[in-house]
Amino acid sequence: MSEGVVVGGWGYVIAAYTVTALGFLIYGIMLFTRLRETKRHD
Amino acid sequence: MKAGIVLVVLGVVLLLAGSYLGLFVAPAEQYMGDVQRIMYVHVPTAWNWMLVVITTFVSAILFLFTANAKYDARVEAGLEVSTLLAFLLCCQGSIWAKPTWGVWWDWDPRLTSVAVLLVAFVGILALRQFVDDPRRRAVWSSVATIIAAVDLPIVYFSVKWWNSLHQQQSTPQTVSSQFHLPLRLNAFGVLCLSFGFVVLRTIVAARRLEQEMAAPPIAGEAGELA
Amino acid sequence: MLAAALKKELLLQWRSRSQMMAVFVFGASSLLLFSFAIGPNAEMLRTFSAGFLWLGLLLSSTLTLSESFHAEMENRALEGLLLLPSDPRALYYGKAIANWLQLTVLGVALVPVMVVLYDAGTLQLLKLLLIIALGTAGLSAPGTLYAAMTAQVRAKQTLLPLLLFPLIVPALLASVKATSFVILGDPMQQSRSWIALLGAFDLIYWSLCGLLYGRVVEE
Repeated sequence: MSEGVVVGGWGYVIAAYTVTALGFLIYGIMLFTRLRETKRHD
Repeated sequence: MKAGIVLVVLGVVLLLAGSYLGLFVAPAEQYMGDVQRIMYVHVPTAWNWMLVVITTFVSAILFLFTANAKYDARVEAGLEVSTLLAFLLCCQGSIWAKPTWGVWWDWDPRLTSVAVLLVAFVGILALRQFVDDPRRRAVWSSVATIIAAVDLPIVYFSVKWWNSLHQQQSTPQTVSSQFHLPLRLNAFGVLCLSFGFVVLRTIVAARRLEQEMAAPPIAGEAGELA
Repeated sequence: MLAAALKKELLLQWRSRSQMMAVFVFGASSLLLFSFAIGPNAEMLRTFSAGFLWLGLLLSSTLTLSESFHAEMENRALEGLLLLPSDPRALYYGKAIANWLQLTVLGVALVPVMVVLYDAGTLQLLKLLLIIALGTAGLSAPGTLYAAMTAQVRAKQTLLPLLLFPLIVPALLASVKATSFVILGDPMQQSRSWIALLGAFDLIYWSLCGLLYGRVVEE
């Protein structure tokens, strides 16, 4: 199993960080939109 | 509300700092190379997912005991945020698995348990969509959340056992290098961000409930669901 | 109280036994479809036969479980029952036990289908019966609870399996594993531990769901 160092893989790292960032960002935007929506009717 | 926004901003700042360090300053891991850097977000997400699940579970129990609507709002928020975190976990774990083990999914007990609970919580969120009576919706979500949360350790244990006969590779190593700072920064970052989201989402849920109860008063006070 | 509830459930089930026949046919045909999905590879079919049996049972359970509340929903009998001075828990356990028995019968009925289609026979019939009983008990407890919930809701057909399936993963894993050992051989006596896991799962969920049922149906 010891293949030594896993070379490269920066693509995967970027993918993981991007997915995470996008996930939080999109949810955050959805959340703030809903916050403003519900405020208007108050 | 202000607290929520502060938490979110703080979370973002911490995450940016931690990620910068984890990506560009920390040395590459000995065997895993740069791919290990994924752990600097994966581990914090995992810890906080567990935390949000627990707080949602507690809120569900508190709702069943007190019938106070604020706990139902927290359950709704907790369900959504933990679903988000679970989804991110599955993506991160999968992306990590491909270069490491050659497959996108390998039935790692921890990740598999997350996936199962992800589906379970999505189901509960779906249930909430289809129940119109707010009191019933609240009771049922709490019951379903409790059942799902109790199931989590059982699922983990059984998958671990089930897979142990086949598992050739070791489980994902937590960061073993000396550089713990990015991990800690990100851990607090995700913590602040997640709970900021929960606080804000709770407010949305509470407001929506108020609006629901506002037109012809059904159960008297808006704060009581008994 | 429990006996009365159980008797009522069994009577209802007996009256709708033609429906049971249909569910059996559904289960049997899903076993058939699985073999088409895999292909006519006798070796592979035999290896996965336990999995197919339990998948077939699981899919069939969504039919029987939702049906079990059909009578209550028809004439709003659920509310009527609640007005009686009876413990809702007795109602729950009566229904859960009846559902369990129904699924066990179904499971047993599907065994010969499995034997024929997948060449998956075994002589340990009592053990197989035990596993089927424990496994279906694991399906029935949460299944009855969720059937009670979803019976009163729109989109109930999709919600019941959506809610139930992630929950019963441990029971499914354990049932399949144990059944597999019974069919394919168990040199290291591992099936015992899986049966124990099933037992623990059943214990936990039969108590937890009974506890929570009252809240689910209260008005």
